[in-house]
Amino acid sequence: MSFTQIARSCSRLAATLAPRRVASGILIQSQASRMMHRIAVPSMTSQLSQKFGVRSYSAKSTIEDIKFRVLKVVSAYDKVTAEKECRGRWQTQLVRRYSAKPPLSLKLINERVLLVLKLYDKIDPSKLNVESHFINDLGLDSLDHVEVIMAMEDEFGFEIPDSDAEKLLKPADIIKYVADKEDVYE
Amino acid sequence: MSTRRQAITLYRNLLRESEKLPSYNFRMYAARKIRDTFRANRSTRDYAEIDRQMAEGQQNLELIRRQVIIGHLYSADKLVIENKKTLKPSDD
Repeated sequence: MSFTQIARSCSRLAATLAPRRVASGILIQSQASRMMHRIAVPSMTSQLSQKFGVRSYSAKSTIEDIKFRVLKVVSAYDKVTAEKECRGRWQTQLVRRYSAKPPLSLKLINERVLLVLKLYDKIDPSKLNVESHFINDLGLDSLDHVEVIMAMEDEFGFEIPDSDAEKLLKPADIIKYVADKEDVYE
Repeated sequence: MSTRRQAITLYRNLLRESEKLPSYNFRMYAARKIRDTFRANRSTRDYAEIDRQMAEGQQNLELIRRQVIIGHLYSADKLVIENKKTLKPSDD
């Protein structure tokens, strides 16, 4: 049962309870008025109640008041709090995948490398080619090159050491390097 | 004397380390600051100045490393903007 379901059932319960509450309110009110008649000093009772801080729910509560109160309680259940959010995340993290990575082929690596490069904002996608040189053709500097290599590491999930990274100057080099690392030959 | 390769390694280490900062604001600030500072100083030719900047970079790298640990000790909830995947538990 999820939280929203609980909240919904709460609101349904509250909706069924609300009329009863009104009825009991009226009951109390009638009892109170009877007592007031018995005392026969109505002004004094109000003074007394003010003095002793007697709460009289019955006199004031209209249907609107009750509606407002109930809705406030119900809406408190509906709020997305941090705790609930964490719970949801924790549940999703429980799903583990024991299977291997999706299979790679040279074509797939090619597509993924080019996609990452297209999404990089300093590269003009129209100039991009498998054989285009990052620094000479695409106009990147060495710092951009570092960021490109980092994006590739994130995409394929392994580290590329600096000594290898500086040799990867074309998309074709990266594709070849990744294919070698992942033992893909076709 | 610092070489070009050292500078690039420092740049890479700084970016890698700044990605680990748990707080969104610090993470984004660090990434922007690192990129902008390296770009701003790319044409520096004075060796003393380069060494000074590299030493500052190393200090900042250590600072970020410490801050990553501290940030994980006192972690807060993620901001709404950084939820990339919207994995919702099914309502019904």
